[in-house]
Amino acid sequence: MSKITTNRRRFIKGAAAGAAVLAAPAVWRSSARASDVVNVWTYANFIPDDFKAEFEKETGIEVRIRLVDDQGKQFNLLAAEAPNPTADVVTVAGHRFLQFIDSELLAPMDTGRLKNWGTINPVYSESDWATINGNKWGAPILSGAEIMAYNSEEVTPEEARSWDIMFDDKYAGRTAYIIQDMMSVMILAKGYDGNMIEYMDNPAQAAAIVEEVRDFLISHKDKVRKFYDSGAEIQQMFINQDVVLAHAWNGPISKLIMDGFPVRMTIPKEGSYGFVYTLNVANNGPNSDNAYKLLDALLASSQVGAEMTKASGFISTFKGADAHLSELEKKAASFTEEELEGLRFFRAEANKMKYELLDPAVEQIKAA
Amino acid sequence: MAQSDSKLAGVERAGASGNGRSFWGRLLTSDLYQAVSAVLFKTQRRRFWLLASFPLFWVVFAHLGPILRMFWISFLDSYPPTAGTVPQLTLANWGKFFEDAIFVMPYFRTLGFAFVLTLSTLILTYPVAYFLAKHVRRNRQMLFLLILLIPFWVGEIVRTYAIMILLGNNGAVNLILKFLGLIDRPIPFMYTSFSLGIGIIYLTSLYMLLPLYSALEKIPNTYLEAAADLGAGSWTRFWRVTLPLSKEGIASGCTLVFLISTGYYATPVLLGGPSTTVFAETIAGFFHVAGDQWPVGAAFASIMLITTLTAAAIFLKIMGRSGKGMME
Amino acid sequence: MTRHTRILMSVIYWAFIVYLFVPLVLMVMMGFKDSKFIGFPIRGWTLEWYTGIFQDAEILGVFGYSMAIAIASTVLSLSIGTWVACFLGPHKFRGKLIVFALTCLPAVVPGIISAISLRIFARGLEIEPGMLAIILGHTVHNVPFVALVVMARLSTLPPSHIEAARDLGADAIVAFFRVTLPYLVPALVGAGVFCMLLSFDDFVRSFFLGSYEPTLPVLIFAMLRSGMSPEINAISAVVLVLTAILGLWAERSMRRLNKGS
Repeated sequence: MSKITTNRRRFIKGAAAGAAVLAAPAVWRSSARASDVVNVWTYANFIPDDFKAEFEKETGIEVRIRLVDDQGKQFNLLAAEAPNPTADVVTVAGHRFLQFIDSELLAPMDTGRLKNWGTINPVYSESDWATINGNKWGAPILSGAEIMAYNSEEVTPEEARSWDIMFDDKYAGRTAYIIQDMMSVMILAKGYDGNMIEYMDNPAQAAAIVEEVRDFLISHKDKVRKFYDSGAEIQQMFINQDVVLAHAWNGPISKLIMDGFPVRMTIPKEGSYGFVYTLNVANNGPNSDNAYKLLDALLASSQVGAEMTKASGFISTFKGADAHLSELEKKAASFTEEELEGLRFFRAEANKMKYELLDPAVEQIKAA
Repeated sequence: MAQSDSKLAGVERAGASGNGRSFWGRLLTSDLYQAVSAVLFKTQRRRFWLLASFPLFWVVFAHLGPILRMFWISFLDSYPPTAGTVPQLTLANWGKFFEDAIFVMPYFRTLGFAFVLTLSTLILTYPVAYFLAKHVRRNRQMLFLLILLIPFWVGEIVRTYAIMILLGNNGAVNLILKFLGLIDRPIPFMYTSFSLGIGIIYLTSLYMLLPLYSALEKIPNTYLEAAADLGAGSWTRFWRVTLPLSKEGIASGCTLVFLISTGYYATPVLLGGPSTTVFAETIAGFFHVAGDQWPVGAAFASIMLITTLTAAAIFLKIMGRSGKGMME
Repeated sequence: MTRHTRILMSVIYWAFIVYLFVPLVLMVMMGFKDSKFIGFPIRGWTLEWYTGIFQDAEILGVFGYSMAIAIASTVLSLSIGTWVACFLGPHKFRGKLIVFALTCLPAVVPGIISAISLRIFARGLEIEPGMLAIILGHTVHNVPFVALVVMARLSTLPPSHIEAARDLGADAIVAFFRVTLPYLVPALVGAGVFCMLLSFDDFVRSFFLGSYEPTLPVLIFAMLRSGMSPEINAISAVVLVLTAILGLWAERSMRRLNKGS
């Protein structure tokens, strides 16, 4: 009996010791408040490894990255930590600024402290959505768009010129979209303002528009194979040939293109919406000075911008980042002039009204 | 049985002789221990409260505490609080559930879904647990059980994606069927109740299997042999002996699966079709989409919680009662 | 039991095994695919994803971190859950149903809600997000499972065993350690494996309660943002093999234990 007990004990001890050895580096890492640290919340691969290593070597500041995978979760986490967050830099999609700003989670960005601010293409840095309450709130790094993706072996570019094809009998049961995003796009496609700012004084009209789009999507629900949520899902649906035509974000699709899969993307003639990922300084973060140092270093090189594009599939906001991309990568991460003309940015001013109308509509479409 | 008897012998050595050979014997006969023990275990009541103290503290503090906090939030008009404002108490978050059928639908769908799922998991895993407990040699049982457990070491998401490439239009099953010439065009397995069932039973079977196995494992084979000697056929033996004696395992397995399956989120989202929203998805939506919806999400979560707990309590009560009937 | 039912049973058992393992085989296979995405057709094969893992100190560290959390929370859950079960199981008292419901509570709260409520709660207690907070979060979540499994086993412990021990002079504590606990071992092993699984696989609590060091599921979720890659499959496959070895080792020592006594 005693021999067996020692055996078991030795086994448990062995396992625990092994885990402890492997875990040790993670546990002993410096704390958030140490002065030679900058704490970043961002998506995997948004901050290139090479850049990070070089920055740490040059400045002696350790970059601690906390991986996030979803804007909503990041918001919840930051809100739960407020008013003393452990983050210095967070990654926010531009059209969600208002939510973060209203909850006082972000600090206004002092662009004067970023001598490389000019690296960013003014289309993004000086755009109207970027200024809220008279302040800038983040440094744009990557730009995304709501696009239509299609399997080029099944769907022709001519067919893919209009969002209508998504609801055509020809591809019934072979399409997919993200409901919330598709509603904004369809509001635009039907000739209205998908940001709903025009209707802020006329909620009745806004409600009528949402109702019209909702009823349209419900009456065409038999055409859709799946309402999905994440980029990885739509990639897998294309690979598995469960869908041949879909609404998607450009990032995940352009990654598929870079991998050689026969898929293409377009901004249909009715137009669509774009959004921008920005790096932001957290309100009351432990090391805001280091946050500015990191952002400035990040903006110093267009090469970094190209790396971000390769990792995420989204388009870099840095001037000249193109020069560091291969032909395939360039093709995968760009649109024609004509397509870009139809692209406008999401804006958050009317979000409260918009989502109060949209959220129930989404539930109704799912339930129909 | 034999094992426990040898344990008893151990106690005998430890307690009766207490000649200092074993740790427990020394402990029991030491003056200090006896003094402490006399104070602690003097009365039945004292023993009871001593045993009760920590569990009561733990469930109230660690189990109830966070939930009460959530319950409290469900009555606030805004959370996380915006600086400078004091949240007001309101019933509106709870009211929202009842005022619109779009929330009630996924709620009932989830309950029905959990019920069907529990039943099918039970039917599917019972023979597996039975085979394991009664037909596999005793010293091999652990190994066989481990084989069953191995797949669960793979994260839910990765496993779910593997199911996607198994069932997709261009997935393994369709490719094999096409290769065999059985089909011309792929069968759309994905995003249906079928794919959902495949993915979910993967998750629930473990929760059913373990309690079932531990209940079946301890039914003495002699009972079954005795029944056979008395001329009972295999069905009769199953209905009259095995099933009643494994009731505890069925009850705890079903409770576990039912409770857990109401909370499933990722797998239904990934494998389900366009019309299979579950309530957990609705709740999660309130936390993901907008910050000021936390109170509504908290209220909905409370509603779900109260329902499932009530259902489980009723179920266990019924099982307990009918169990007594069977025993007599 | 007739031969037919016996054969039928083993067919069902093995069919069940096949059902469980086919996705795993696919997963292991996809780890060898030379592409950034999993799925068919497979045009090229590579060992890079698998060999890459062992050269990646970060992934190994994350694995160890997750393992340490799983072990710590399992030990805690087993101790607390057994205590709760020994209190709840044999005793009859007013309000028992309420205590039982409270015990089950964490198991039924949807993950995201339990995660956020625990996060807010931990802040109230001034527990910094990080390893300790995750361990506590997982323990809270796992205790109900341990309690349920142990209670089921406990209910079959013949009272005569305890009585016999008491007659022989053992007091409550000694009787527990010499009679009850050994009787509970199979349930504890099962519950322990279970807790490890739950902890190792948990994403949402680890995400909300964690700090800058990701656990394995948090890392995988973050990687998933850029697609379900063969690399993720390879990581999962390696974890699978390592844990399977661990499990088989545990089984062998258990078997030796049984032979020994």
